[in-house]
Amino acid sequence: MKIFWSFTRQAFQFVSVYRFNFFAEIFLTLLRMYAIYCVWRILYTQRPGAFSVDMGQMITYGVLGMALEIFVWSRPQMYISQQVKSGAIDTDLMKPLDFHLHMLARSTGETLVGASLAVPALIIAYFLLGVNLPPDIGTGLLFLFSLGLGYLVLFHLNFLLGALSVVALDIRHISWAYYSVVRFFGGQMVPLWLFPSFVGIIAGVLPFQSTYYIPMSIYIGKFTGVEAARAIQFQLFWLVVLVLTSRLAWGWAHRRLVVQGG
Amino acid sequence: MIKVEHLTKEYKRVVRREGFLGSVRTLFSAQYETIPAVNDISFQIDEGELVGYIGPNGAGKSTSIKMLCGILVPTSGHIQVNGLTPHKDRMKNTRQIGAVFGQKTQLWWDVPVIESLKLFRDIYKVSEAQFKHNMSLFNELLDLHEFQNTPVRQLSLGQRLRADMAAALLHNPRLLFLDEPMIGVDVVAKERLRNFIHEINRDQKVTILLTTHDMVDIEKVCSRIMIIDHGRIVYDGNIAQMRAQYGKQRKLVVEFEETIPDFSVPQATLTHSEGRKKWFAFNRFETTPSTLITQISAQFPILDLAVEEPEIESIVRTIYQRETESTEAETK
Amino acid sequence: MEALRLYVRLVRVSMQARLQYRVDFVMGIFSVIALNAISLGMISIIVYRFVSLNGWNIWDLFFLYCLWLLGHSIYSLLFWHFWDLQEYVTQGTFDQFLLRPASIFIQFIGREVQYIGFADASVAVVGLGLAYINLGLHWGVKEWLFFPLVVLSGAVIETTLVLMTACISFWTGRSDMAIDAIMSFNFLVQNYPIDIFGTWFRVIVTSLIPVAFMNYYPALMLLGKSDPQSHWQWLGYMSPVVAIILIAITSVVWHFALRRYSSAGG
Repeated sequence: MKIFWSFTRQAFQFVSVYRFNFFAEIFLTLLRMYAIYCVWRILYTQRPGAFSVDMGQMITYGVLGMALEIFVWSRPQMYISQQVKSGAIDTDLMKPLDFHLHMLARSTGETLVGASLAVPALIIAYFLLGVNLPPDIGTGLLFLFSLGLGYLVLFHLNFLLGALSVVALDIRHISWAYYSVVRFFGGQMVPLWLFPSFVGIIAGVLPFQSTYYIPMSIYIGKFTGVEAARAIQFQLFWLVVLVLTSRLAWGWAHRRLVVQGG
Repeated sequence: MIKVEHLTKEYKRVVRREGFLGSVRTLFSAQYETIPAVNDISFQIDEGELVGYIGPNGAGKSTSIKMLCGILVPTSGHIQVNGLTPHKDRMKNTRQIGAVFGQKTQLWWDVPVIESLKLFRDIYKVSEAQFKHNMSLFNELLDLHEFQNTPVRQLSLGQRLRADMAAALLHNPRLLFLDEPMIGVDVVAKERLRNFIHEINRDQKVTILLTTHDMVDIEKVCSRIMIIDHGRIVYDGNIAQMRAQYGKQRKLVVEFEETIPDFSVPQATLTHSEGRKKWFAFNRFETTPSTLITQISAQFPILDLAVEEPEIESIVRTIYQRETESTEAETK
Repeated sequence: MEALRLYVRLVRVSMQARLQYRVDFVMGIFSVIALNAISLGMISIIVYRFVSLNGWNIWDLFFLYCLWLLGHSIYSLLFWHFWDLQEYVTQGTFDQFLLRPASIFIQFIGREVQYIGFADASVAVVGLGLAYINLGLHWGVKEWLFFPLVVLSGAVIETTLVLMTACISFWTGRSDMAIDAIMSFNFLVQNYPIDIFGTWFRVIVTSLIPVAFMNYYPALMLLGKSDPQSHWQWLGYMSPVVAIILIAITSVVWHFALRRYSSAGG
């Protein structure tokens, strides 16, 4: 627990030193929010019925997705791959700390910093772009819970990619493509219910939707009652699968590192 | 070759104020202070000289070298390198100088050494004949052929430095700047590089300015030494003179026939005792080795003896200290 | 002339350096192709439901994206390392350029080469080809002559904007965030026709950070678009002019940046 706070503090210090970065990031986020706002607004005026939700909900979805872009900030797989490349992974492995949890603590710290950027951006968006608040407190809480699950799912997916880096070494380029996939199948900009049939089916079984699509759909009120419960179950299912896979994968990677000497 | 007159370089720096309120004020009304990195230095170096240039970190060494290379523009003063003003005649000046920076390579990292050299050949417009001649020279003196087809990132430090030397000399510069070229190099490789530097200076009459922290380099290779501290030249002359002027203390090492308890000798201090040997420090102006030997042998039979000259390092330290003291006295 | 020969020579060495890393090369190309494919996929999905975006159908949008991408590919092939200028300045790599009897500018721009540009270019060409066929375009001599000019201008526009922003590092030591911020407008311009955005945005990307000249205005002209955008079509011809103006401004900035470096060091 202590470690977690120390990472968060470190991340905050880093951000406060680079004050310009802080404002620049908020600016970038707002710009993206503005873009999606314009797109959905125009499309909505063109064909109002095609969305199956109202314009306010649609815009909220899009803007929230852009805010959560900062979500995707924390990159445990980049940390792992850098450590492996430089050989510093040894110091990590020598620590009396479960590596998996260590990465989780680090990543959460970084994400909290990202969240502190997302919040001001969202507040500004609320006033300028007409973003909705959740319909009621219950939905809001459920959203946060689902968001937490989504974060954990994404973390483990990233972690697996990091374990892959033990073999593949440089994953910088793969990471770019990977993040595109996460955004696309996660429904960051376009919700999955708008996907055409065959793509929609594929997206429906993949874990990526846990990240953006499920929590955000809950937030805008698209998923309620039974649907919401099923969606959360989906997240939990994938979370369990990924945690197990991660531990297995890291166990294997760890052994490989020890044998090969990093 | 090099003529420097009243060279000064000042930097403007923001005065940092204390505390949180201080940093807010700095945001709105920044105050600047001028720091003289190089403060009114003058010297002359003739063609063919091999000069050692030393000074503590932050003394102004790299700033002055950068100005000599034409990288930095002086605040005031004159520099003439073989008749040219470095920063004004950059293109022409760069053809007559070469540089090796110990900590950064000038070669392309991922390609074989020979490719970098060929690229330099093209940039400096070295003739094919000259190129071939220099390459065989480097093969002979630096064993360049052993690793010329290896990418620079795979070279050992010693090899990389040899490659950098070749690159710096490829266009036959009249003047060579060596900025801490032997940091981190093992003893054997160092000796080899020193010999190379010596030969280039002697055979090719290349004027060399060697910056280093290693006093052994200075002793073995340089005839003249310049010491810079706090932006000023505090010593400029040859090494023997320096020793004579500042190296007051010499040591007499005496080995006796048997172990004897410590004793004192007039005008000398016993600094160290080990087994049958004793070290006596004395001031060269107060007494001579022969006087001491006479006095010691009168008391105990001497088996063997040697006279140790003061280490350059301690002399230089003395000079640094003296300079620090006088600067502190000035600012008070 | 002299500078061009030197540049070509430097680029050859840079390419040689890149090819040393074969696996990385291949993975990089595939990743970038995937990246672009997904972006186009995203646009396709949006249009799938809505047929058109403010009068731009899917092939129009493909054209818009790929036109931007083709200009960008030249930048990403040859000048990606402009992002590293801040390191060159603070780590003293820049000193090396000053020590050689050659143009500092040419040495800097020829420093590195990135194969990513090939991936971008291939996607762009395919996309443009598909759009051309599906839109039933029939370009005349005028359009065919102008097209390469537009692509080159696009490359120049992006390159000069990045270089100017990167030069901030000569004064402040850092420029990455500034480049990110300024080029963020790119993200919107590359994916969407700017007529869906507000006036303030259109003014910025037309006059201040003129990235709209990389794809939007030329597209109006090359696609023969009609109302309500037609009265801006003439700006499509202005891309090369914008490029030239930017070159002029950049050379002034560069001149001052070098002066700054010589007086203040790294």
